[in-house]
Amino acid sequence: MESKLSVNHLLGIKDLNASDIELIFTTADNFKEVINRPIKKVPSLRDITISNLFFESSTRTRLSFELAEKRLSADVINFSASGSSVSKGETLIDTVNNILAMKVDMVVMRHPNPGAAVFLSKHIKARIVNAGDGTNEHPTQALLDAYSIREKFGKVKGKKVVIVGDIMHSRVALSNIFCLQKLGAEIMVCGPTTLMPKYISQLGVKVEHNLKKALEWCDIANMLRIQLERQDIRYFPSLREYIMLYGVNKQLLDSLSKRITIMHPGPINRGVEITSDVADSAQSIILEQVENGVAVRMAVLYLLAGAKN
Amino acid sequence: MKILIRSAVIVDPSSKHNGKKTDILIEDGIIKQVAKAGSIKEKVVKIIADEGLHISPGWFDMRVNFREPGFEYKEDLMSGCRAAAAGGFTGVLTMPSTHPPVHTKSQVEFIRNKTQSQPVDVFVAGTLSYNHEGEHLSEMYDMFASGAAAFTDDKKPVQDAGLMLRALMYAKNFGGLVISFAHEASIAVNGKVNESVTATRLGLKMMPSVAEEIMLTRDLYLAGYAETKIHFAPLSAARSVELLREARKKKIHATAEVAAHQLVLDETLLTDFDTNYKVMPPLRSKTDMEALIKGLKDGIIDVITSDHSPEDIENKQREFDHAAFGIIGLQTAYAVANTALKKILTTEEIIKKISINPRKILNIPVPVIEENQPANLTLFNPELEWVLEEAQIKSRSKNTPFIGTKFTGKAVGIINKGQVVMNEN
Repeated sequence: MESKLSVNHLLGIKDLNASDIELIFTTADNFKEVINRPIKKVPSLRDITISNLFFESSTRTRLSFELAEKRLSADVINFSASGSSVSKGETLIDTVNNILAMKVDMVVMRHPNPGAAVFLSKHIKARIVNAGDGTNEHPTQALLDAYSIREKFGKVKGKKVVIVGDIMHSRVALSNIFCLQKLGAEIMVCGPTTLMPKYISQLGVKVEHNLKKALEWCDIANMLRIQLERQDIRYFPSLREYIMLYGVNKQLLDSLSKRITIMHPGPINRGVEITSDVADSAQSIILEQVENGVAVRMAVLYLLAGAKN
Repeated sequence: MKILIRSAVIVDPSSKHNGKKTDILIEDGIIKQVAKAGSIKEKVVKIIADEGLHISPGWFDMRVNFREPGFEYKEDLMSGCRAAAAGGFTGVLTMPSTHPPVHTKSQVEFIRNKTQSQPVDVFVAGTLSYNHEGEHLSEMYDMFASGAAAFTDDKKPVQDAGLMLRALMYAKNFGGLVISFAHEASIAVNGKVNESVTATRLGLKMMPSVAEEIMLTRDLYLAGYAETKIHFAPLSAARSVELLREARKKKIHATAEVAAHQLVLDETLLTDFDTNYKVMPPLRSKTDMEALIKGLKDGIIDVITSDHSPEDIENKQREFDHAAFGIIGLQTAYAVANTALKKILTTEEIIKKISINPRKILNIPVPVIEENQPANLTLFNPELEWVLEEAQIKSRSKNTPFIGTKFTGKAVGIINKGQVVMNEN
């Protein structure tokens, strides 16, 4: 098996191959064992400085990365857009170059615009980890989702996964599609036509607009958050009506002919895409996803730092 | 001043010398003599002779953005004229993409007066709506009387159908030309690129071609109702060519243009988020590109423009969403078009699209290569191979994806208003 990634940055799942993903998973297995020890810290990234640049608000991704970095003994500096020079009109390149002038080795960046991570990788010298760029990709989320499926089922190949919700504005959906396909899963997307890219089926996914049918088909349902902040116009009349068509509640789950697994990238809008009793049910692996997030991000950072030499 | 052009092939369908290899003697801006190659023995100040030299009526680009007043750091009238001359153009139509937008007589006169002594004739398009606000008509007649050649709300097009209809009918009073940029904003929303699987993979906001087609349909219908002419700014979709073809059959007096870069670039180039491929209308599929080329061949699309859109580095080298639309094109428009079309259109057909048709559409006299006619000429070589280098760019802005690209066909120089500008590169 390869011991190095085929890429120097993690910009998107698009750029990875299946053996890259397998390598990240086996590395994450080791780190998952580490973070369940009494002493959770390893010296792997000592002397490596990582800057977390968050140009868009985030709670769990940011905490997860920060925890991963600290458990690897990296030096960490954090930056968030609010109250910074960005609001004074500084350009992205300038902001980042200023931070790099302080001798940073890696940058973890979340940004509201698609392609921002690619843009950065062309203009600065540092390893880049994309922590979400607009509606393009969120590669570590997809990796931890696939890792969680692998953990629960032993493998990803052959599993049927439906992604439900606002497919059009979701970087999680796109990265999940690319990642799960590379690992041999079957994918369906489900949501209202107004939130479904017209050409999405050309990515090799099934498209279904009826939630009940979609859930009957799948082994795993990944429920997306409705991203009102990314919608320029209203694509459906009200949340109430969205819930009527695409909300998952316990009654619906119990009416299915089989027990399916529920995933959610967070943060959950309880009572919108899923009700509390679904989120907290035994069928949900939402908190396992969060735990796996730290191990997967440790693996990514570790492997990319290694790519340096 | 006497100039002799030695052994040039004339490409001018209105001239009796069309297709012949000739010597041309020009004196004080007038064509004095056209004769068999090698036959003129006059003593002259300057001889222009080159292997493969061709000569045609001066080229005309009916869509350029010169950004003055308001954005002189992107392009000013002088730098724009230098780029036009280097690209072989003796005439251009500037869009009202200035600040303030060209919507009054004084602004039209400012541009006309400031460029009067230039070797490039600068014609002006004013906005169709007052202050480019899309609500009321601008003083179109006053602008027309001061030399405005067309009216358009450019790339912030009129969304109100009633206003568009009134503009078409009002311009008809005095023979003014309305140019429509077919773009329905309520469908395109904030789209940055064509709707396709390529853009879906990149998570970019998309504008489906239906946004173009539906506006094209509306304005064709309105022009038919108003019984007047209309011209369409660059079209990009295959279906648009068909809609135009059907409208022509119904005798609707509609003409259209395509931007040269749309003939060689398609949306699959976007995968790296390179903002030099962010243009309006957006790059579309290979199928659309082929339909545009067929539309040119069939005469459904009348004109090739550069859609020269200078943008400074701050507006281009940034996040794709925030980057400005557009690329510069004056110096490459002919080369790009010739490279794309040389096996499909004849040289004469290409010259019609970049010289004769735009002037006819704008009701501007078409130069003819005959004795005692004013010398408004472009010298070019359709076989010359060359590579665009950044140092050759005359524009203030360098936003082009074509640096390092090899082309076939190049403008060698222009002669207009008694001035000769040779392309030194």
